[in-house]
Amino acid sequence: MEFGWSDDQSAYRQRVKDVLADNLPEDWEERAVHGPGSTPVTKFSFEFCKTLAAQNLLIPHWPVEYGGSATQPWNHFILGEEAWQVGEPRGPQYMNVNWIGPVLMRYATAEQQARYLPPITNGNVIWCQGFSEPSAGSDLASLRTKAEKVEGGYVVNGAKVWTSFATHADQCFLLARSGSGKEGIMILLVDMKSAGIQVKQIPALIGEGDIHEFFLTDVFVPEQNCLGAEGQAWEIISYALQNERIGIARYAFARRVLDGVIEELKADGRFDDPVIQDRAGRVLAKVEAARMMVYRVVDERAKEQPASAYGSLARYILVQADHAVADFVLEFMPSGMLGGDPLQQAHHQRALYSGIGAGAAEIQLNLAARRYLGLPSENTRGL
Amino acid sequence: MDFEQNENQTAILGGLEQLIAGLQVEAPKEGVLVAFSTRLDAELEASGFLDIAREAEFTLLDSALVVERLARLPVSAEVAFSALVGPLFPTDTVQRPFALVTANPLSPARFLTVARTLLVDKGDELLVIDVDPSQVEEVESLFAYPYGKLASLEGMAVRRMGADLATGVRRRWRLALAVEGSGLMQSAIDTVIEHVTNRYQFNRPLGSFQAIQHRLATAAGTQQSARWLALRAAWSDSEADCALAASYLQDSIPTIVYDLHQFCGAMGLTLEFPLHFWTYRLKAMLGDLGGSSAQARAAAIATWQDAA
Repeated sequence: MEFGWSDDQSAYRQRVKDVLADNLPEDWEERAVHGPGSTPVTKFSFEFCKTLAAQNLLIPHWPVEYGGSATQPWNHFILGEEAWQVGEPRGPQYMNVNWIGPVLMRYATAEQQARYLPPITNGNVIWCQGFSEPSAGSDLASLRTKAEKVEGGYVVNGAKVWTSFATHADQCFLLARSGSGKEGIMILLVDMKSAGIQVKQIPALIGEGDIHEFFLTDVFVPEQNCLGAEGQAWEIISYALQNERIGIARYAFARRVLDGVIEELKADGRFDDPVIQDRAGRVLAKVEAARMMVYRVVDERAKEQPASAYGSLARYILVQADHAVADFVLEFMPSGMLGGDPLQQAHHQRALYSGIGAGAAEIQLNLAARRYLGLPSENTRGL
Repeated sequence: MDFEQNENQTAILGGLEQLIAGLQVEAPKEGVLVAFSTRLDAELEASGFLDIAREAEFTLLDSALVVERLARLPVSAEVAFSALVGPLFPTDTVQRPFALVTANPLSPARFLTVARTLLVDKGDELLVIDVDPSQVEEVESLFAYPYGKLASLEGMAVRRMGADLATGVRRRWRLALAVEGSGLMQSAIDTVIEHVTNRYQFNRPLGSFQAIQHRLATAAGTQQSARWLALRAAWSDSEADCALAASYLQDSIPTIVYDLHQFCGAMGLTLEFPLHFWTYRLKAMLGDLGGSSAQARAAAIATWQDAA
């Protein structure tokens, strides 16, 4: 066991910090408050991701044959920590490099890879994920969007909701149903400019650009846009979600906000208050616990071990930490939420979402109970 | 960053497993509150497992892994203080087993009935007391550790040590709490998982109910968090990490202990069921070093007080 960073990792982190410092505009924090899916951050992401790509920092963990540097997984995570900590200047494109690209590398045909991967590696495309539906949220397998086989492809009808980044998205990783059960689910890579797609942003507590609904009316999707073999979609979705669950270094942003609030409390002469010290220490423990839990999952990946339910356990701890920081700020430094600190507001909005997106926290507990603890299924009967 | 055991750690823990297997350590069959094994304690001392952190080729983290493993046994021995606090003292200047108290040397202390040295954290100094067994009174308690207290200090050698050593002992005491506590939590959770898997009510295993699954999964996440914070603290041996790990551990004890007993119903109230061998040791830790708030404040101060 070893809980420190190697010299190479420290140097890599410094390099990332330098690139961020050199390339973020002076008004970045004001822009970042609007969230990764907002118009200003999304627009900036095209500029910033190209800069990262030019410095081999956009997809460093990808294999060389796909344009990456095959750097160790820890470096990719260090990059994610630093980026999320400053408000995620990669905007929606963090999702491309975290899981859209890796899923395509694993499951897409050569033709699909040739079409979809270069825009990601160039920092030039926005993806959204068409998973949730009005009647299929946590119970994703009950989705109803229908894909009907026609000559040369599929005609898709249905509705998706809670979709992040949809306004600006060029492509959608869409789940639809061509049959019954989990086996009847399929994945279609859909051009969001296709005829029959209507996107509507839903005003939300969590900022601009993160929640949409969109409707698909007789949308034609060519058959070459179908990802994976028949009946393989659930396996692909599970793989994607495993990457998504702890892919965002939420504790890093939470720690930055906590450190900032403590500095303000010190400046106000309030840090000597033992109540504040007590609460701050407890919140700090939650944040550092989340860091260690996530590192444990990254270590698993770095060693190329199969993904386990530990990610669900880590995700739950991460959500608790994010909320603990947000609540600490509300209680002891609420002025930040009233125009005093755009980052505090941004963090509050991200924290609100952290236990809902990419599988609700309670779903993570279900998964951890069954797959990590080995507790019996709710259908078990006897005695 | 590497979360897997290295070769040394695997070898140490392998040897420890052999020792445990040889001693055939198991929960007492008769219903008792306290399960302290004099034999285990003596074997551990003789085998050198408690002195690992003194060896040049091993680390404090290696020693912490020993403490964690032994905490998972249903019987206790004086392990954590010897393995993690003891190495602060030059060899042969103090004798184990240790007992530790804050402020008042006449306070009840776990392991004092077997201790040869009592360490008293008085904040700005440390008292090192060579215990005269004739002055030790046994204290009855629900806690699963043996407890005793000194009737008086009369006739006992008391060495006064400086603030640096007092600070060091306090830091390692926090580490000891965190490491031992995470091991206790793990075995307590394992015991309850077995119970809720095999105990049927309403024609279903208790563990199939979501109300129980969620709280057990939360407990598991808490235990793992406590574990990694504790092991990181053993690796860094820093004031902030040790205080943070102890704070998290103590902060987590009430909820975990409540839930685990709750899921075992009346069975968990009996002495024939072994859960208390872990949960009541956890309860004993709750008040150590002034309780979780003291550790949280110490962590906050160590992290931020001196920061620019």
